[in-house]
Amino acid sequence: MNLTTALARLLLFPGLLFAVPAAWFFMWVERKAVARMQGRIGPPFMQPFYDFIKLLGKQVPPRSGVGGLLMKAWPLLAVASAAGAVGLLPVLPASGGFEGDLILLLALLEVPSMCLIAAGFSSRSIFGEIGSAREAVLSVSYNVVFLLAILSIAASQHTFRLEALSQLPVSPLQILGVIALLVCLPAKLHLNPFSLPNAEQEIYAGAMTEYAGPELAMWELSHGLEWVAGTGLVATLVVPHVTFMWLGALIFVALSFAIVLLLSAVAAATARLQIDTTVRFYWQCTLIFAVLAVASALFTRLRS
Amino acid sequence: MKLWNRLMCTCRRRSPWLFHMNAGSCNGCDIELVASLTPRYDAEQLGARLEGSPRHADILCISGPVTHNTVQAIKTVYGQIYGPKAVVAIGSCPASTNAYIDSRTLDGPLDRHIPVDVYVPGCPPRPDSILQGIAKAAEILAARGNNPPVLKNTDEPVLEPAACEAASKEVRQ
Amino acid sequence: MNIFAMLWKNLWGGSRTLLYPARPRVSEHYRGLVRFDPSLCTGCAMCKFRCTSRAIEFTPGKGDFTWSYDPGRCTFCGRCVEGCKVHALSQESACPPIYLSAGELKESHTLARKPPAPRPAAAASPTVAGQAPKPNSVPNSGGAQ
Repeated sequence: MNLTTALARLLLFPGLLFAVPAAWFFMWVERKAVARMQGRIGPPFMQPFYDFIKLLGKQVPPRSGVGGLLMKAWPLLAVASAAGAVGLLPVLPASGGFEGDLILLLALLEVPSMCLIAAGFSSRSIFGEIGSAREAVLSVSYNVVFLLAILSIAASQHTFRLEALSQLPVSPLQILGVIALLVCLPAKLHLNPFSLPNAEQEIYAGAMTEYAGPELAMWELSHGLEWVAGTGLVATLVVPHVTFMWLGALIFVALSFAIVLLLSAVAAATARLQIDTTVRFYWQCTLIFAVLAVASALFTRLRS
Repeated sequence: MKLWNRLMCTCRRRSPWLFHMNAGSCNGCDIELVASLTPRYDAEQLGARLEGSPRHADILCISGPVTHNTVQAIKTVYGQIYGPKAVVAIGSCPASTNAYIDSRTLDGPLDRHIPVDVYVPGCPPRPDSILQGIAKAAEILAARGNNPPVLKNTDEPVLEPAACEAASKEVRQ
Repeated sequence: MNIFAMLWKNLWGGSRTLLYPARPRVSEHYRGLVRFDPSLCTGCAMCKFRCTSRAIEFTPGKGDFTWSYDPGRCTFCGRCVEGCKVHALSQESACPPIYLSAGELKESHTLARKPPAPRPAAAASPTVAGQAPKPNSVPNSGGAQ
């Protein structure tokens, strides 16, 4: 993959130019689906775009010193890494990639939550600290399962290329891994029942309490991009093999859309769990999935 | 540039984020405000979201006659809201202290302390009246643009005493 | 799994939201803004006495009086309506409107005091106008028979 292809993938498709409207679209789908399931009308189609532009027009908060510089940097870093993660997704089948881009994708997907944690602490407000601490505990809990599930699928096939993963035949290991990923996605995306860092009436706005204006616009955008990247990752594993290029892309987006609807249904159906219940859920219940996935991966590798 | 200004006006009108403060209210108006988020009235169709932090919000919704204990908190929170902002006084209490008019624990109607944009009368007002108030405040916000009343970026608000004095004189006549 | 059935029903059953400018009807007993009928008012100031939040103000003068009402201060309790013996006050069955500046909705009326209505047997009986009738007294029309 040469430089121009890489830049095109990062900035055009499926990079920023595609990812940002896709992020707004998925955020709208989630809010509208949750609203419809609750019997409400929900926001109009352009709502995330209106929110973004309005936030850009707010007064810029004054930040001074190194702490201020850090506070300005965290949302930008979150957006950049989430956009990079979306840029790596194999939306078009057989679109090239490189060995190990799965690892890069997973690393880039981790960065926004790290930025959120750091932002809460660098904002020097007590609500920020509590929100960041909760996000850190949550992150430690779901990441074990998340990474074990996907890495075991990859390791069992001796490959770390996203494209190769998208062309795998269906196997029990893959189904197990996809279920484990779907269970971890609500925590990653701060959805009910694991929406602890977002607990509004409990801790004001958690890690983002002191953010305003354009910085907040960047945080919302990075949240939308995380949606695209997370659902895209699961869609990569589930997408069937199609030879015609743009049809494959369409199916990919449709699958991500279906996963968004599924996650919205789960979010509308459940209430927020407390931190101890969440941690217990991930360490006791879903760890079984991860252990089973690793075991079957080892078994498959030993057999092949 | 004009196109950007028009776009910004539309987006400010279509995306009012609320922050609610209770200045000693009996909670009737608070319940009706939360009722306007329920499926029948659905404030989200206007793009309104109840935010957790005043830094995120555009519109400050205040209910309750302003008690002594809450005056400083209201001023602080008003100062913490950035950018173009509007204030909605929900219920008859912030407009005029309503039935508590002779109480010793109150500190007058709300516009003695912060500039108020929309008053929603009622005791408590119906959720559809509150939605009308929010929509009107969003329009005022969009038309106001970046003009005053804009406050300095400190936690202590700089009020325009002339505006507040005149408004409070008119109420007390 | 009841919740999923409920969500499914909501999704396909349509939303129950009133689209923004539409408002639900209020019942006919709704207590909204106070309406004043100047032709019936006798200037007794009972409404000002009973008002809980001093929304009604009454300024007596020589031969006339000024009655003013500020809906911004009103708590819509209806005590004034109950206390008015001549039914000059009523409450409309509609939500009060939102307003933008304090005191904007205030209305006031200056009315001339009406002479007291002549009683049917006023020429015959020597009762002083304005004297409160005794509890067991016979009404005038009955007394004139």
